[in-house]
Amino acid sequence: MNSIAGITNTTPSAVPTVVHRSTDMDHKLVAKVLVRNLNFYYGDNRALKSVNVPLYDRKVTAFIGPSGCGKSTLLRILNRIYSLYPHQRAEGEVLLDGSNILDPGEDLNLLRARIGMVFQKPTPFPMSIYENIAFGVRLFEKLGRAEIDERVQSALRRAAIWDEVKDKLQANGLSLSGGQQQRLCIARTVALRPEVILLDEPCSALDPISTAKIEELIDELKDDYTIAIVTHNMQQAARVSDYTAFMYLGELVEFDTTSKMFTSPGDRRTQDYITGRFG
Amino acid sequence: MTEHTIKAFDADLQELARMIAEMGGLAERQIGDALDALNRRDAVLAKSVILADTRIDSLQHQIEEKAILTIARRQPMAVDLRDVVGALRVSNDLERIGDLAKNIAKRVEVMDSELDLQKVMRGVEHMTELVLTQIKEVLDAYARRDVDKAIQVWLGDEEVDAVNNSLFRELLTYMMEDPRNISLCIHLLFCAKNIERMGDHATNIAETIHYMVKGYALPDERPKGDLTSTTSIPYRN
Repeated sequence: MNSIAGITNTTPSAVPTVVHRSTDMDHKLVAKVLVRNLNFYYGDNRALKSVNVPLYDRKVTAFIGPSGCGKSTLLRILNRIYSLYPHQRAEGEVLLDGSNILDPGEDLNLLRARIGMVFQKPTPFPMSIYENIAFGVRLFEKLGRAEIDERVQSALRRAAIWDEVKDKLQANGLSLSGGQQQRLCIARTVALRPEVILLDEPCSALDPISTAKIEELIDELKDDYTIAIVTHNMQQAARVSDYTAFMYLGELVEFDTTSKMFTSPGDRRTQDYITGRFG
Repeated sequence: MTEHTIKAFDADLQELARMIAEMGGLAERQIGDALDALNRRDAVLAKSVILADTRIDSLQHQIEEKAILTIARRQPMAVDLRDVVGALRVSNDLERIGDLAKNIAKRVEVMDSELDLQKVMRGVEHMTELVLTQIKEVLDAYARRDVDKAIQVWLGDEEVDAVNNSLFRELLTYMMEDPRNISLCIHLLFCAKNIERMGDHATNIAETIHYMVKGYALPDERPKGDLTSTTSIPYRN
């Protein structure tokens, strides 16, 4: 928790550079996203309580905690998906490269191109595999046919699904298996060249092989993207993430390197949760 | 500590701890018997110590299997993971202690000398008592997850080293007095070294307990008093 206390002093105008004081990562880390004193309300119900947490640049941060702890809520705030719903309100700051995305003037379409999101259930559009990718790209960029082709191909390659779909790009996206659909959704996100990717339980509906492919993919994507993943699977969090945040009852209980969190967490509640002693 | 939601997980961890306790009890008895055999030159007792070592070895295998199965089945995290890894390490140390006791027993058969053993044996006995206490204490600390007690054992090894040093000098002197003593004294030196090594394993276990409970290791440098590798007695004609 010390590390979080340390970063709240950074000035909002500058890109926050923080030193994460931890046992095994002693270099300087840049917080691509910095959540500061964030409160969130579903109507009168306060779902997040003064949450402070960084998403370090080109690192994977996992959010774990029991159902209803606020981890998915936090993810939904990071790209302002909640703004689509009435009576939902966020207070505090979410700094993306130092500027607050909660500001009323924020261009949400642009924001969601910078911060992409993949949901629990695969959500391909009811159109061809090719169009699933090209559709979003055309919304943001004026590209020629060849350039779009190139962008579709590189996104599908990036999402490790190219070899499986290259001969049927005109097939409907919904005809793919669940694991393939999820990788198609990741490809769709990657095609927009976002800076941050949010994954909300991306593997919960997938078999172990598809899960392994997604995890392998996350490992590759973190070279270029800042990634946040919500997962109920503790082993998955331990496998894929560099940092882990444990949330409980709307509060961020503990944030530290994943290696520390899963071998010797500092907070008793974290320990009880990850060792299966909760409730 | 609160129980796991899955009760069978608690049972797995308790079973590991029980097996360690059983192994520890056997190792203690082996040390006592090996020393008795040495003291009385009792070849029959020595033989039984040698044979009983297989029981300790087989317990170590069982603990390994149980630990691996527990990791595969429960995917332990944090304190549970340290607990399982701790059991593996402690069982390794106890297995080595068993081997060292067996090695002392093996020497009983070949030790043959006119030298009055009583005087020398007093030092060996004293050292054995110290080490046995260390092992008892550390096993107790393991059973109770008592870090303070573990640290006491960790620090207590210095005294064992000190006794070993004086025993080393004493045996060197006997060898210089009369070359006919050399064979016996060499064997006794090895016995003393074995006992000193047992003490080291007790401190290993203390370090493991510290890691299991606290989640981080004790400092690398333990106060050490074993000077035998740099001890010599000048030869006077």
